[in-house]
This record gives sequence, structure tokens and C-alpha cells, in this order.
Amino acid sequence: MKAPLIKLQDIARPSKRLAQIRAEDLPPLPPPYEDFNQKNLTELGEEKTANVEASLDGTIAIGIPKPKTKEEEEKYLRAFLSGLRKLFEKKNNWTFLQPLLLSMEHCAKCQTCSEACPAFEMSGRQEIYRPNYRAEVLRRIYRKYIKPFGKISAKLAGDIDLNWNTIARLAELAYRCTLCRRCASVCPIGVDNGLITHEIRKLFSQELGIAPKEIHEKGSVQQMRVGSSTGMNPMAVKDSVEFIQEEMEEITGYKVEIPWDKEGAEVLLLHNAGEVLAWPENVGAFAIIFQAAGISWTLSSEEIGYDGVNYGLWYDDVQLARVAVKHAEIARTLKVKKIILGECGHAHKALTVIADRVLTGDLNIPRESALVLLDEIVGSGKLKFDPSRNDFPVTLHDPCNVVRAMGIVEPQRRILRKIAPKFREMTPHGVDNYCCGGGSGFAIMSGYNFAEWRTLISSRKKFLQILDAFKNEPLEIPKYVCAPCSNCKGSIRDILEYYQATERSHIYYGGLVELIVNAMAEMKKPIIRFEG
Amino acid sequence: MRLPLHLRWELYPVQHEAGKRAEYGGSYMEEVNWWEKKKKSSLYNEIRYMVPEILFLRGLKKENPRLWNLSFPFHFGFYLIMGTLGLLILGALCLVLGLPVAPGQGLLGSLIYYLTILSGFLGLSLGTVGTAALFRRRLRDPELRNYSSFFDYWNLAFIFAFFLVGLLAWLFHDHAFDGARAYVYSLLTFGGIPAGMAGNRTFWGSLSIVLGSLLIAYIPLTHMSHMFMKYFLYHSVKWEDIPNTGSRIEGEVLENLGLKPTWAAPHIGADGKQTWAQIAASAPKEKK
Repeated sequence: MKAPLIKLQDIARPSKRLAQIRAEDLPPLPPPYEDFNQKNLTELGEEKTANVEASLDGTIAIGIPKPKTKEEEEKYLRAFLSGLRKLFEKKNNWTFLQPLLLSMEHCAKCQTCSEACPAFEMSGRQEIYRPNYRAEVLRRIYRKYIKPFGKISAKLAGDIDLNWNTIARLAELAYRCTLCRRCASVCPIGVDNGLITHEIRKLFSQELGIAPKEIHEKGSVQQMRVGSSTGMNPMAVKDSVEFIQEEMEEITGYKVEIPWDKEGAEVLLLHNAGEVLAWPENVGAFAIIFQAAGISWTLSSEEIGYDGVNYGLWYDDVQLARVAVKHAEIARTLKVKKIILGECGHAHKALTVIADRVLTGDLNIPRESALVLLDEIVGSGKLKFDPSRNDFPVTLHDPCNVVRAMGIVEPQRRILRKIAPKFREMTPHGVDNYCCGGGSGFAIMSGYNFAEWRTLISSRKKFLQILDAFKNEPLEIPKYVCAPCSNCKGSIRDILEYYQATERSHIYYGGLVELIVNAMAEMKKPIIRFEG
Repeated sequence: MRLPLHLRWELYPVQHEAGKRAEYGGSYMEEVNWWEKKKKSSLYNEIRYMVPEILFLRGLKKENPRLWNLSFPFHFGFYLIMGTLGLLILGALCLVLGLPVAPGQGLLGSLIYYLTILSGFLGLSLGTVGTAALFRRRLRDPELRNYSSFFDYWNLAFIFAFFLVGLLAWLFHDHAFDGARAYVYSLLTFGGIPAGMAGNRTFWGSLSIVLGSLLIAYIPLTHMSHMFMKYFLYHSVKWEDIPNTGSRIEGEVLENLGLKPTWAAPHIGADGKQTWAQIAASAPKEKK
């Protein structure tokens, strides 16, 4: 039976759950994955949800404590409105004031954006995941409570109540969108509902101190406290990289030296520190390529300098600025010519594009994508390749932050065309790509049953795309999803694991540098091993 | 309020990129050491994209063809009416200069005469049909109705009334838009009446002029101003990719970093006295 249409005003109405995700509504998976088509989101028990906001859709991203008294609720509401006002003030939100105003005032409510949103489509068209749902809720609150004569005009311009249900659900709802901005790219007017989601997140973080703990407390705060969001301090990261150095020789037969804190190097390479722990071969492969190509480069062992992540991009401009400034200060101290961002999409966008209007003077050190430098190295002829070593089907996942947000589309393809003879595109790809489902922090958020929600809903489109890219290949041969982004790799790892795609279809995943090293004639043994 | 320079938030494809990049969505950041190279941009690529986008709503046709079937006549009707207004002004200027605007009265006079009829009739017809269809769709389609307020219907009804009244004025009285041209003539000459036009004022003609004038005043107050504001949505945000390599951007960034925020969350550490620059150089409170 079709669920009743959820209205904008329903967000304020008390109910146990605003939206119900049902397995039968989700787009079906093809064979041999039909057994997952009956899979429902695991119910959260009363003991887990008793004290936190859980009335949106059966999952929890933040876990906001419920107010215990009427006064506490009033305090939340006052803080929310105060934060909303600040979003429209130059001194508080110069960072996005103009884009926000334009997107708040000019939406024609044509719903063209909905069809572009993978979360909306893959949830079985859940109304609350429609890109315009949360944006329109904010627009109505803004018009009613912030603009002059709003309470009178609301009767004609669209009314909405503001209470605990409204703000708590809106906060949660801001974490059901991966900020992939596919909706904005198809809007005929140029309205950006992804940006409005981003601004809602900022309001909650910057005014109320509310954000998922994985991206704030254990994310940007931990990064500034110990040096990395992974929790690794400088000593731990140096130990780990030393181990990677030894491992690389063992795996490939190629001896590599990974330089630390080399003053005056041409390049400071900034990895997502998650690579060191989860995908050490990525760190090793970068080192092999740079060494073989004769690049003058270094890593930094300064706190924050060995972790390129900048979670502030997703939820907090101040945290974003703090980390970006620190990265630039470290590069300045090392006197490098440029910073190269490793395979991490959000780090690319944060430091290259967004921080471009935060860093001034001698902090404005040139920043460049590793994909661009790798393209030059591969195309230069400095390295010899034997592409037959990559004689397995390869498809490419486009990280939204690298492609749609930065326009870096062709370098990675030029590389793949040269070193992977069985490379094929996903449909669609490039700037029209679909998010991995782990964007904007989702890949690292796994509290309550959120990781399951991600795999079932926001990553579902990517899984279907991957299956489609390999649909004409026999199940038993190994296939490689190349994902040059740590967060994307994390969510693709989780998809493959959840749906048992490695066992059932022999689908593996990894970065771009691993494929490059795998094809290098100089390597005695392959770095890519299809195991497990 | 002068809006401050915001952080970059462009979205690719950026249509002023040169060469093939505009097509596949590439950027200048695809080049090694891009900051050492002269940034190439292409006005041709931008125009090639914008003209069909503005005139024919190409993006909507691609992404939402069902809605385009209704929205295109509505928008194109509007454009034709704007074009008709231009032709009326041109015709009235001709009359001011003593050049008749009528069939068989020289090439210019005849051209303006016939073009005005063609553009005016098509504009009013397309506009009437398109607006009625959009109104009906908004009312009947739950996906649109669920998000529509009284004002959304009112706006469409208002525009529909303008187009319909204009169409009726044309149908009953002003087949050649002579009356409309006479009105523009009187505006240009502060009350003058072109020769042979006295006494031609009609109810439908007057009503369409009143509605048209009210509409021109009303549109900027509504989201319908997206027809013009789309320029800023594209050029000031979606395609705004200017890197901070020059003094203008740097100066404005420094100005912004001197602002004093008042965000209240403890980790921000804002007290209204510290600047963005000072806060960005400090550690979050949780760290201290």
C-alpha cells in the first residue's frame, strides 16, 4: 500500500516516526542479489532511542538529546532562530551569504531536482528525502520568523510551525543528503538545495554545537587535538609509514624511501590519514610513483600536517578555516613549492577551492590535485608500463568533490586509458556521476544503524552502477572499481561487504595509484592481489 | 547591503571554460601548475550555452521534459511579449519621427507593423496557454501541489489574467496593436496622441495596460524574478571560479577575515571582538 504523502507541515507534528522506509519500496537489486530486496533497516530498540531524537525515519545520524523540560525546549528554539538570523548576516556568514540568499529566494518549486537525487530515488521516493523538502522547510521558517511581517504573510506564502519536532527533525534531515549537489547541477534556475542543507548543518554546529560526533568531536576536534581524525599522533603515523615502506618492498620487490619533513621539497603530499590505516598500499604506491618519477617531495610529521582531511567542509566554516590555515602554515614552514592532495575528494575541494578565499599572503601556497600530477607523470614517458598486468575489467568512480566541484575529469581517464586495457565507464559518469553514498561525512558515520541506512539507501545507486558496469563480465573473474578518494573507497568497501559482492561477483576496489604501480614494468611483483 | 565576496562554490561544467572543457565539465585545475598559466576563458562557449538555455530552456527540456512542455510556451510567450514591447517602442519612435507604421508604408514601417502583430499574437497566445497549463499542473500534480502556497497560484493567475486580457484586447479591438503603440507613443511624448488615433481607447486595451504595468512592478517582489536573477545564480555562484591570484580577491578576502562573528557554539570561541582571522588561527575550545 502506498504511504500517505508527507506534507511540509508534518515535520512539526508529533508522531513516533515521520517516514517509514520499507524494503518493498526500494528499487530492486538484480541477480544474484535478490535476497537483499527484502532487507529492511534494523529497528532501533527503545533503549537506544529513549533519550535522543529518533522520530524522523528509523535511523539516527546525530543523536540529539531530547529536552527534559519546556524551558530546555524553548532554549533550543531560541538558539535555532538566533542561528538562522546569523546565516543571513554578513559578519557571521560572509562565506556563503550570497549563494544562500539566491537559493532561498528563487526556487520555482518545479521539483526538477528530485529526479537527480540518488537518496530520493533509492529510498523509493521518500518525500522527506526530496532535495526541496528540507530546503522548503527552512525557507518557510525563514520567511515566517525572520523576515518582516512573516507571521502575517505565512498564511499566504506557506505556513509552518516551529517546535522541537521541527528543529530536531530538520537537524537529522540535514544528514540524509550527501551534499553531492547533483540537484543543483540540474536545477534550471541554478538553485542549490545542497547548499541549503550545508547551511542547516552549519547553523546547528556553529550556534547550537550540534553535529555528528564522528565528524566533530572525533573528527575535526580530534584532528586539531592529536594531529589526525584517525587518532594517530605524529609518532604513530611515522611508525605506520615505516611499516608501509617495508611492506612495499616485500609486496612489489621495489625499495622505496618515504621522506619526512624535507625542507625545500617541491611537493608536500597530503594524504587522508585514513589511507595509512585502512589502505596502506595507497600510501606506498604514491611513494613508489614519486620516487620512480624523480619528484622532489615530502610528507609532514607535524600535527595535522599528515592528515589532509578537513571535515569542516561538511558542517562548520570555522573548523574548515582552522584546519586549512594549519595545512598552509605547515607547507609554508617546509618551504615547499606546492601542496599535492592525495586521493581524498573532500580534502581536494576544501584546500584547493574553498580555502582559496581563506588563505592570504604567504599562506596562499599553490594547491593541486594528485590526479593532475599523476597524469603528467604517466604521460611523460618517465615510467615504463606494461598494461597487460592490469588485464582485468576496471571501472572508475568519480568523486563528486573532484569532478563536479573542481572540474578535474580527464586526467584520471587519460591515465586509465593508458594503463588499464579493460577500462569502461559507469553510466552516467564525469560531472553527471552519482555519489558513492558516503559523501559529506556519511562514510565515517556509523552510530546506531546509520551505516546500514547508508548502504541500503544512499549507496544503493552506486552499487547498481557498479553492477551495471560489469554486467557483461563473467561473475568469476576479478573486477576492479577504481575510486580515487578515501571516503568513496570507504563506502564502496562497505557496499561490497554488505552485499557480499566480492564473494558473489568478484568485485574488488582500490585507488588509482595502485593500478598505476601494478602496471609499472619496474615492479617485480603485483601490488594488486585479488584476495578475500 | 553590499554582499561580500563568498567562498567559491562553483559547479562544473562551467560554461566559460575554453575548448572541450566546457562540454565535458573540465576546469583550468586540470593543468599542472595552473597558477603559472594564463587563465583561458571563452565567451563563445558561454554564449553558445546561454542562448538556447535562456530562449528554449534547454536544461529543463533535458531534465524535466514533461514540465518543459508547459513551461516553454509560458516563458517563450513572455519573451515574445517583451519583444513586442520593444517593437512597440520602435514603432512609436517611428511615429514621433513622422514615419508611418502600417502596411505598404515603406520597408521599415511595414516590417515593424507585421512583426508586432506576429510577435504580439504568438506571445499572448503562448503565454495564455502556458500559464493555464502550469496552473492546472500545479493544482493537480501532488508533487507540485504539496509545495505550493496561495502566492504560487496567485502569481500564475495574475500572469494568466494579463495574457488573457491582452489576447481579448487583440481579438476584439486591436488586431494590429495600433492602440498599444499609441499608448507607448503617448508615454514617449508625455501625453501626445498619434494622428488618427484619438478615441481608440478600449476597456480591454486599458485593462491589459494596467495589468501589464502592475505585473512589471510585481515580478521583482516574487521568486518570478528568477528570470533575471538567474544571471547571478550562474555567474556569481555556479560559474564563479576566479582563483585568488590577484589583488582584488585578496583584498576582499582580507576585508572578510576582519569581520567579527558572534556564533554561540562553545567550540567557535567567538565573542564579537575577535575577527575571523583570529578565530581561524586559534584552536577550538574543546582542545584547550
